[in-house]
Amino acid sequence: MISRRSAFKAAAGIAAAGTFAVTEGAQAADKTVKVAMNLSLTGADSESAIRVGNGAILAFEDANKYGEVPGIKFDLVKFDDGTATAGQYDPAQAATNARKMVSDKGFIAALGPQMSGAGKAMSPILSEGNLAIITPSSTNPDITDPKFAAQYRPKGKAVYFRTVTTDAYQGPNMANFLAKTVGIKSVYILDDSGAYGVGIADSFQKRCGELGLNVLGRDRLDPKAADYSAVLTKIKSLNADGLYYGGVAQAGVKLAKQVAEILPKIVRAGGDGIYGVELLKGAGFPAADGWYASNASPHKDDGDKKMKEFSDRFNARFKGSPDDYTLTMYVAARAIIETVKVLQAGGKPINRDTVRDGLQAIRMANSLIGPVEFDENGDLKNKVISVFQVKKDASKPLDNMDDQFAYIGVAPMS
Amino acid sequence: MTTGELFLQQLINGLNLGAMYSLLALGFTLVYGIMELINFSHFNVFMVGAFIALGVLRLMGLDGQIVILTGLPLVVVILVAFVVTMFSTGMIGVGIERLLLRPLRAVTGPAAMILTIGVSYILFNIILIGVGGDTRNFANPLPSVSWHFGEATLRLRDVLIWGITIVLMLGLTYFVQFTKLGKGMRATAQDPEAARMMGVEVDNVVGLSFFIGSALAGASGLIFGLYYNYAKVDMGFSAGLRAFTAAVLGGIGNVPGAMLGGVLIGLIEAGSSQLIGQAWADVIIFSILVIVLVFRPAGLLGRQAPNKS
Repeated sequence: MISRRSAFKAAAGIAAAGTFAVTEGAQAADKTVKVAMNLSLTGADSESAIRVGNGAILAFEDANKYGEVPGIKFDLVKFDDGTATAGQYDPAQAATNARKMVSDKGFIAALGPQMSGAGKAMSPILSEGNLAIITPSSTNPDITDPKFAAQYRPKGKAVYFRTVTTDAYQGPNMANFLAKTVGIKSVYILDDSGAYGVGIADSFQKRCGELGLNVLGRDRLDPKAADYSAVLTKIKSLNADGLYYGGVAQAGVKLAKQVAEILPKIVRAGGDGIYGVELLKGAGFPAADGWYASNASPHKDDGDKKMKEFSDRFNARFKGSPDDYTLTMYVAARAIIETVKVLQAGGKPINRDTVRDGLQAIRMANSLIGPVEFDENGDLKNKVISVFQVKKDASKPLDNMDDQFAYIGVAPMS
Repeated sequence: MTTGELFLQQLINGLNLGAMYSLLALGFTLVYGIMELINFSHFNVFMVGAFIALGVLRLMGLDGQIVILTGLPLVVVILVAFVVTMFSTGMIGVGIERLLLRPLRAVTGPAAMILTIGVSYILFNIILIGVGGDTRNFANPLPSVSWHFGEATLRLRDVLIWGITIVLMLGLTYFVQFTKLGKGMRATAQDPEAARMMGVEVDNVVGLSFFIGSALAGASGLIFGLYYNYAKVDMGFSAGLRAFTAAVLGGIGNVPGAMLGGVLIGLIEAGSSQLIGQAWADVIIFSILVIVLVFRPAGLLGRQAPNKS
């Protein structure tokens, strides 16, 4: 409480100082700035979408309640890129949402998307409109890779910022972990044909080559198909030590069920696409048991005081516990608030151009996920990949991520 | 795994897929045979059937993977689930026919087919709003009995899905060929006008074919659930597309053709996953479909459809 009250006083002081420098506009009634939030609220990823989105809701509600940026009210507007037809995120819907955001000058920044496939569709449109977006979870490296700048940011400036590390690290670091920590000798790689899945599987496969981990084959799953037994039988006949799956929950939960039956002993791992409640609920136990999953952010440490305070606040507001991408979303929202605060304090206009430039320069030394700073491509400078494994704890709720995903540690960087 | 074991296992995998596609293709081909209507709502009736079955099993206390039944209780539970699910989806089919398609029967052109696409999306969205988009776990009351041939495994539920498919196909063939109602159906299929003059209640026959077709979709939904242990709102699309292909490949309107087409597609899918890659399975399936249709436009066993004058 004390810290919050003093923050309020400090902020009030800045506002008072601001009035000397700025025109009367700043003294007038609160100005509302709109922030767009694009998530996959329909379809297979809806549950995690809500949990992730709550991170941003909490950040802006608190900022408004405590008047953190004097004279500014934040209005968070939700967009859904999931469609019933796709059963998950739909890039076409994401592009439509991006056009809506860009055409409304009231939006100063955006949050999301969850999924890389959506990000690829949105980024060029946002670049044209110079509207910055911060993604809490889309990890495909191409979107921010300068090699593809002409495609994803035709205007040149970075507009796609991330509070997560990319698959350029997630895939390879999991390969390091499987080869060095677990000690497997051969692996078969599957992806779900989505942008995220193919990208993370590619980067995993490339690293396997460098490590000398024998890749027995690579195949692609149709996420809408029900039966993967034929390809799993093939993997069985190859006597693979490990199976790596690059993809999201839709194919992942079905795969997990069938792997448990056909390949009960294989070492199985995936990226953050399977790090979620969907695996626990959709595949259930015993099928989910034993899966390794990586996450492109530091794991929230329950012993940490700051983290506990956040978890309590989150729980009081939403009746549930935050997951790691709730944190990255919260921090993304905080980055926007901090940027607006800096602009307001400096007496600068608050619009999408100034906010983009402000985000590029923002430095948060001590956020919930550690230091936050973006490089010239929009990527987070501080890179961490965490590894988890599903270990059934029958004494706890079987669909609670914190209880059933055991934190193994940070994956080796090289 | 030896090559022989691998072959046997992929054969089993292919037959499982094939049985699933055949089952779904049966109801589809039946309605086409009577009305020359491609009923796209069939696949989402199948999906709704899976959710009804899920609910029925839950009401009987079967939820998740915990309860395993054997002997008489298993047979009773499965029978009850089949009867309730098939009756419910059958009535949905009758409802669709009576309320939506009958007023359109005199209209030629694609209107009725487009309408079934609309109905399909309505059913999809009802489930999406009512149940949600995530995967729902199905009860699995089947004991995990399996037989091993070296490293190849044949499970009880593999045998079950084959058995049920064969029984339903034989039952349907018998019904259409040898019962009075079945004869009425075939008469309607050949010439509705003449059938009406011979005293066949054409409206009832059409309603009945929708009832049976949709009941079969419900049965497929239940079997899908028991077999793959999940139900999900988008399950109808991908399975439906393969089933549709199976029906066309075998000869649309032709009951044994649907079965043959389904099994062939299942085997091709398993074979191409083993030899080339799962990613190429669709390419191969649809290439074979194109080749077969070029040389035999009526499908492998020939097309059966009403003679429109």
